[in-house]
Amino acid sequence: MATPEVHHLFHAPIADHSFSSDKTTLAVARDNNVELYQKSGNKFSLTDELKGHEKTVTSVDIAPNSGRIVTCSQDRNAYVWEQTPAGWKPTLVLLRINRAATFVRWSPSEQKFAVGSGARVIAVCYFEEENDWWISKHLKKPIRSTITTLAWHPNSVLLAAGSTDSHARVLSSFIKGVDTRPEPSAWGERLPFNTICGEFLNDSAGWIHGVSFSPSGDALAFTGHDSSVTIVYPSAPEQPPRAMLNISTRLLPFNSLVWNGENEIIAAGHDCEPYRLRGDESGWQLEGSIESKAGPGAGRVREESALNMFRQMDLKGQTQADTQLKTVHQNTISTIRVYEDVNGSVQKLSTSGVDGRVVIWTI
Amino acid sequence: MSTLNYRTINIDALDPDSPQNFPIETLLPATLPPPNTSSGAANTATQVRQLLRSGDAVGALRHVLETAPLGGDEGAKQVHLATVIDVLQGIRQGEMGRVLAGVLEGEGGVERGDCLMKYLYKGMASGGPSSGAQSPRKSVSPQSTGFSQIQARNLGEGGGGQQMSVLLNWHEKLVELTGTGSIVRVMTDRRTV
Repeated sequence: MATPEVHHLFHAPIADHSFSSDKTTLAVARDNNVELYQKSGNKFSLTDELKGHEKTVTSVDIAPNSGRIVTCSQDRNAYVWEQTPAGWKPTLVLLRINRAATFVRWSPSEQKFAVGSGARVIAVCYFEEENDWWISKHLKKPIRSTITTLAWHPNSVLLAAGSTDSHARVLSSFIKGVDTRPEPSAWGERLPFNTICGEFLNDSAGWIHGVSFSPSGDALAFTGHDSSVTIVYPSAPEQPPRAMLNISTRLLPFNSLVWNGENEIIAAGHDCEPYRLRGDESGWQLEGSIESKAGPGAGRVREESALNMFRQMDLKGQTQADTQLKTVHQNTISTIRVYEDVNGSVQKLSTSGVDGRVVIWTI
Repeated sequence: MSTLNYRTINIDALDPDSPQNFPIETLLPATLPPPNTSSGAANTATQVRQLLRSGDAVGALRHVLETAPLGGDEGAKQVHLATVIDVLQGIRQGEMGRVLAGVLEGEGGVERGDCLMKYLYKGMASGGPSSGAQSPRKSVSPQSTGFSQIQARNLGEGGGGQQMSVLLNWHEKLVELTGTGSIVRVMTDRRTV
């Protein structure tokens, strides 16, 4: 495996990152602003800042085709940024929420985007030509707590949402005049707005941190604060799922996950490195880290390091000099995204985390 | 003049949107076993002690973890906790590794590991051996969802301290096998023991 490409941008947490489709622009959410980096040589250098939010920016997404950037923040607003000759021009989106906006993603069609929030609603936003502004419609019904994460189905109608009420849900965000009627699938046949196509809770019930549809859209994976990954295979509309598989890991919780084909998932989170899971409907298992560790025996000493540190302090009066983790990321990974794929099979991934690094991994 | 002191009204309790009124039972999975009674738990305790006497430590621990009253009432849970702690104390330190490996083997091993971890933390929280079984403690926490910070601990004091050291030994051995994941799951899991 090739060595990962590490870009240490600054010493502050990165809430979210997104690359443009040509991979030359990198948008990074840092505090109240979004910073835009341009690739020059093998480095990324800061070229522009999107200023407008008044509180921490929680999420950022660049639409691959139109190049428009959507951002959302704890100030309860979302902006759509468009590039003009005079620079990036923001358009405020009326989300009509009274709590922080937590997560935003463009639909694959790029006609809509969805914003999760602490107000127990998902705002599905679309552009209305007549009035020349962005309108939002709320997905509300079964949601009992903050939405932490969202993922779009390839058909741009179904939306998966993870929440702090420990449920992962699949909802319809069909908007007349914007969406074309989707093909019937195992999730549902008729899909008016706010149809609940699935509501899943795993046994140990942690807050959901990450959700993702498989490339075909016929399976859903979610991960939560119970250090497990659950994969759901729906059977038919309004029927219990054909299979719901839960993999409890011995690791710290994952924050984010992506599919690589239909039989592989890559997840990353509080253990600071991406892990690979493989399987199919009959069973899944954790394969191990995708990181090749430097030096022998690097992997297993970490758990006892606190004990060793205090023992060293006690015996020799010396504190541990080496505070570096053995992993590439030096703190929690908060977002993992597909960087480059060929027909649903992922070639490269990008991750960003609390350590201010963006890392590009070759699978 | 009204005698009502408006300052002391708990307004969160009156707000249906308040987190205090979150329907916590929605976090329980549908697969929860039916409630167990304390007499049922006492029967299990007899069976388990028999297994332990016959020298089948792995079988005893396995059985006691598989029959945990996840959906049971508080009485059943207290009786079962006492049984689990008896089993844990009845296994010698040198045997711990072998017994744990046996318990975690096979189907449902991860669940048994998580269940044992829940009992270890509950055992450590409830202090002395007798207080756990005889006087089920009322939750000190003002909110049913919160973790209490102010619980009596009797570390290093007679039987309580000894029990604590046994539990800590088991904890160390269990974390070696199940990792930090099972500790995290003790915190998230609403199927309490």
